[in-house]
Amino acid sequence: MRFFNNLSTRTKLILGFGLLWLLLAIVIVIANFVIIDVTNSEKELNTVHLRSVLMTEKLRFVMNQQRVSILQLLLTEDKTKQDSLITRIKGRAGASSILVDSLRLMNSESDYLLKVSKIDSIREMYRKTREIQIALMEKGEIKQARDLGLGIQELRFETISKIIFDLSEETQKAMDKQVERDKEQSQVSRYLFIIMAAVGLIGGILLVVLLNISIVLPLNKLSILAEKISGRNDLSVDIPVQSRKDEIGRLGKAFKRMLENLRGSTAELTSLLFEVKDTVNVLAASSSEILAASTQVATGAVQTSVSITETSTTVEEVRQAAQLSSQKAMEVSENAHHVSQISQDGQNAVEETIHGMDHVRQQMELIAQTIIRLSEQSQSIGGIIASVNDVADQSNLLAVNAAIEAAKAGEQGKGFAVVAQEIKSLAEQSKKATSQVRTILFDVQKATSAAVMAAEQGSKAVEAGVKQSVHTREAIKVLTDSTRDAANVATQILASSKQQLIGMDQIGVAIKTINQAGNENAASMKQVKQSAQDLNELGIKLKMLVEKSVL
Amino acid sequence: MKKEHEILLQDRARKLSLEPPVSVSGKEVMDVITFSLASETYAIESVFVREVYPLKAYTSLPGTPDFVLGIVNVRGQILSVINLKKFFHLPEAGIGELNKVIIVRNGRMEFGILADVVHGTRQIAKSLIQQPLPTITGIGADFLLGVTRDSLILLNIEHMLQDQSIIVDIEVN
Repeated sequence: MRFFNNLSTRTKLILGFGLLWLLLAIVIVIANFVIIDVTNSEKELNTVHLRSVLMTEKLRFVMNQQRVSILQLLLTEDKTKQDSLITRIKGRAGASSILVDSLRLMNSESDYLLKVSKIDSIREMYRKTREIQIALMEKGEIKQARDLGLGIQELRFETISKIIFDLSEETQKAMDKQVERDKEQSQVSRYLFIIMAAVGLIGGILLVVLLNISIVLPLNKLSILAEKISGRNDLSVDIPVQSRKDEIGRLGKAFKRMLENLRGSTAELTSLLFEVKDTVNVLAASSSEILAASTQVATGAVQTSVSITETSTTVEEVRQAAQLSSQKAMEVSENAHHVSQISQDGQNAVEETIHGMDHVRQQMELIAQTIIRLSEQSQSIGGIIASVNDVADQSNLLAVNAAIEAAKAGEQGKGFAVVAQEIKSLAEQSKKATSQVRTILFDVQKATSAAVMAAEQGSKAVEAGVKQSVHTREAIKVLTDSTRDAANVATQILASSKQQLIGMDQIGVAIKTINQAGNENAASMKQVKQSAQDLNELGIKLKMLVEKSVL
Repeated sequence: MKKEHEILLQDRARKLSLEPPVSVSGKEVMDVITFSLASETYAIESVFVREVYPLKAYTSLPGTPDFVLGIVNVRGQILSVINLKKFFHLPEAGIGELNKVIIVRNGRMEFGILADVVHGTRQIAKSLIQQPLPTITGIGADFLLGVTRDSLILLNIEHMLQDQSIIVDIEVN
């Protein structure tokens, strides 16, 4: 259905009627064939079977006549009559043989041909016997001839006549059969035609229904919608979306677009009108507000003039206060100058302190260097002590050796042994002394290193003092700067309070001017009020106009 | 300072005023040199001592037993030095000074003995020498003459000088 809808209307019509025409053409062709078939059959019936039946009947008739003539011949004794009969018989024999020949040509069935040739052969024998009969008759031997005629010839004639009868019978049967077949065929053809006619009829009805559904109904719908839109101006109708691609689909889509456009423009117009209405309302409200405001302003102007009088007395008071503040500012300025000088002195003092600290630091460094030198010297004293100790050791050994030598000398070496003992004790003494010196030196070294530490700490403390005094200098500098600024500010305050006095006088003049201007304001306010009233009326008129148009 | 000096002088005077120890001439006394080695005091007969020498520099000899400290140069003469602690297999208790060499000799042998401190010479009466206990095996009775009452150990240095085990004769390929 969808595919059918998508076809264009022309194609639909061509397709529908084409199908009907095709059916008709098929019917015509089939009828043609059937008629040709029936004609052929009729022709066969006429030319073959009917003629062969007639021919056989004719043959039988000829044979019968011939028999009759022979029998007559056998019965008559009149010579002339006999002669005329003989000629007739002969003539009849010729006719029968022609008939048999033509019979042979009539049909090609083997059974049929067999029978015909059988007839022919029997007839030949019959003819020969007849010739003999005729010869016997001419000789006058009538009796013999009669015997022949009633005996064998009778039998042969019977046979022939029976065969002919069979032939005729069979042909008639065949004819009946063919007639039956034709009848059946025509029946089949009739059914076929009835079916065809039914198909054609149903196809036609279907085509009509289809065309109705696919073309007429949608067109009807669209026309109803169009009437709705044009008649009742109803834009709220909904056009169903049609996805078909033919002319009706296109028409539907175009119609839909048109409706949407129409809707859009109508909505715009309506909203515009509403906006205008709102604006007019606002205008009316505003104009009435302006009216109220202008009334308030008029009363305000009166109040202003009262306030201005009050203000002028206040300004006089302020002027007096400004004079007082100017005097105070002068005092402050003098004080600030004094403070600034003092802070300058403080700065100088701090500067001197920093110089002194620096000197102390240098002295401390000198002390530290000296102490370090002292420590180095005590180290070298340690070295000297070690070498003295060594000497004492060696003296001791020397004493021992001397004692050994003395012992070797025996009695003579006794005195020398005493000397050696003395040397030994000397060496021991000097060793003791060196150990004492070493202890003292150790103490000295400890003291010097403590002194080094103390000097270092002292120099650090001095450095911290220097830093601290630098900080102080900075602080005093900031103090000096700020006091100077304060002095400057005080001077400025002095100047500005003078200006304030002058300004106060000017304010007095200005207030008078304001008073005049207030009076003028009140006058112009009246005019404004009148204008606002006019505006209000205009707004009300506009509002009425718009409401009418919206309705 | 002065006081210490006086004390020293008085002390010496007192020592000199003491009665000298009973000196018996002849064979009853023997001259010895005392020295200390690792907290023990030893004595050897001064007859066998040539001299005492400070150990300043020595050269160790590889390939010798560990009791041989090395060799020293004593005024041009090369002498071997023995560490008695190693020789007697004494425990190495503490580190001594070990900066003295006592040079001993007899007619044939001459070597140095390592000492911490050399105290000096003295005489010992032979009657005061007590024979060492026979159970002592540490040093070996062969090298001990005896012990005095003030725990002085007398070494038999004569035997030591004759002993064959002290001679090192090793060939190294």
